[in-house]
Amino acid sequence: MSGAVDTGLGADRQRRIRELAARRPRSRYLTVSVGLVGLLGVLAWTTGGLFPSYLLEASSRQNLARFVGELEPEPLRGRPWSLGELGAWAGDVLERTRGLEAAWTTLHLAIGAIALAALFAALAAPLGARNIATREPLDPSRDRGGWRIVRHLVRGSFVASRALPEYVLAFLLMALLPYSAWPAVLALAIHNGGILARLQAETLENLPAAPLRALRGAGATRAQVAFAAGFPLSLGRLLLYVFYRYETCVREATVLGLLGVSTLGYVIQDARSKLYYDEMALLIGLGVVLVLAADALSYLVRRYLRDA
Amino acid sequence: MAPEPPRSEAHGRPRRAPLPPSSSLVRNVGRRLLVTVGLALLALLAFTQLDTPLSGLVPGESGWRIARAFFAQALSPALDYEDPSPGYRPFLVKVALGVWHTILLAAGGMTLAIAVGSVLGLMGASAFWEDREGPRALRSLRLVLFASVRVAIALMRSVHELLWAVVFLAAFGLTPFSAALALSIPYAGTLAKVFSEMLDEEPRQPALALRQLGASRRCELVFGLVPGVLPNAVAYTFYRFECALRSAAVMGFFGLPTLGLDLKLAWFDLHYAEVWTYLYALALMVVVFELWSAGLRRRFVV
Repeated sequence: MSGAVDTGLGADRQRRIRELAARRPRSRYLTVSVGLVGLLGVLAWTTGGLFPSYLLEASSRQNLARFVGELEPEPLRGRPWSLGELGAWAGDVLERTRGLEAAWTTLHLAIGAIALAALFAALAAPLGARNIATREPLDPSRDRGGWRIVRHLVRGSFVASRALPEYVLAFLLMALLPYSAWPAVLALAIHNGGILARLQAETLENLPAAPLRALRGAGATRAQVAFAAGFPLSLGRLLLYVFYRYETCVREATVLGLLGVSTLGYVIQDARSKLYYDEMALLIGLGVVLVLAADALSYLVRRYLRDA
Repeated sequence: MAPEPPRSEAHGRPRRAPLPPSSSLVRNVGRRLLVTVGLALLALLAFTQLDTPLSGLVPGESGWRIARAFFAQALSPALDYEDPSPGYRPFLVKVALGVWHTILLAAGGMTLAIAVGSVLGLMGASAFWEDREGPRALRSLRLVLFASVRVAIALMRSVHELLWAVVFLAAFGLTPFSAALALSIPYAGTLAKVFSEMLDEEPRQPALALRQLGASRRCELVFGLVPGVLPNAVAYTFYRFECALRSAAVMGFFGLPTLGLDLKLAWFDLHYAEVWTYLYALALMVVVFELWSAGLRRRFVV
């Protein structure tokens, strides 16, 4: 690194190494970006009121200690207990709080939403793909006029639909629609639909042109090119992305319960507001199991799709 | 613009992770068909299990009223309070402060997440632990440590930041610190997972060259593997920052001074034009960060 270290290399080699180091690729964009984010981090911890000085106060430490104590199952507190008793308590809590039903709803909410999102992506993505939504499909040299505008509007709508968090979308939809699971399903479907559609449009754009051209040359319409050649060629990639997003969907579906949908978040919030912290911890644990199961499922399906 | 290869925004995916050549996916027609049909059937089953009657898609009488009032304002977001009272700070200043607090909370959470995530990411990479000499007991101890790092990463990721926020609300009240901490736990887990995957996929030649020169294992890892993944890691971290902004905004629903709080209060006050302003501000903030991180990816992600 520095000339002071005896590297055992000759002087001109050391000079050559220094020259190479001076010529290494550097980017102002990267430097400025990292610098700005670093600055934001410093500002957050200095001016954002983040520093937890209150944790040094005795009262909040006592609160914390009490909270931790109350995480232990209530009927078992203050005495030695067996695993059997713990199991009995857990079964009792899950039945009383309907935790298992909530977990069931969470899983299905995620599946319904991701399926709708995938359907939307498969149908809408061709309208946002640079090789299909042009004046003459597959001919980028004639990219003018109406189709160009349509394509940009469609791409813009993909961006817009994923810019808002699921939680905010669900909050708004719950006020507009009568009470059912739809607001949660739609919120997840809209956010993930935007993400999947963007990815699917990019997959379509990167497809080999030959099969699409062949179909077009044989007289296929734009829609036929998109759905008879583009869709089957891109399906594998779409499914991989669908299962990636599925695991995040399960996480988010859990949380939408905080808004009153009957998923795990709802029962967790309920336990917290009753100050039953032991039950809250158990239900969060159930959520962990659910997410890990969804993780494993999505991993297995993706591996199955990949291995020839 | 040159067409870029599909970028993996799908959760937890650095772009360089091994996607199969598309030809192998093209060949797997039977499996794709099976998975597609299976997914469709599961979705149909799901809708029988969920409370989703088709009538639920049609707003009721009050729903229509709210919808009309709300969407009527879509193109005229508020530039001033709809119900101004003297002494308030100007509305646009309030919006800007909401955006600023959202960014600060996201940045606060991300600093913790990056610190913890890079350490755990290094320790979660198999290169950190593999083929070292030593007595048998020491080697099995390393294996146990490696496994527990991986389990810790999975557990951190599996509880959503809003659930952590609920827990901390109970433990020591929801303060900016507990919100940043809540945000940082799953984000650190995700960063650690992605970083360790990147390290595992990185070509080993530079590290082996260092080994030939007599470098220590630690040196091998830090100077042989880390520089190769750094561009991807920075680009992915920026993408997570954008996600953190969305999460920080939502934390406002629990009472923190981010955009979510402003949005919720304006909504309950029926100030729909103000709601639109907050929605546009939120979307704009996210899109600006997205363009920023897309610029990084375009330049650095191979």
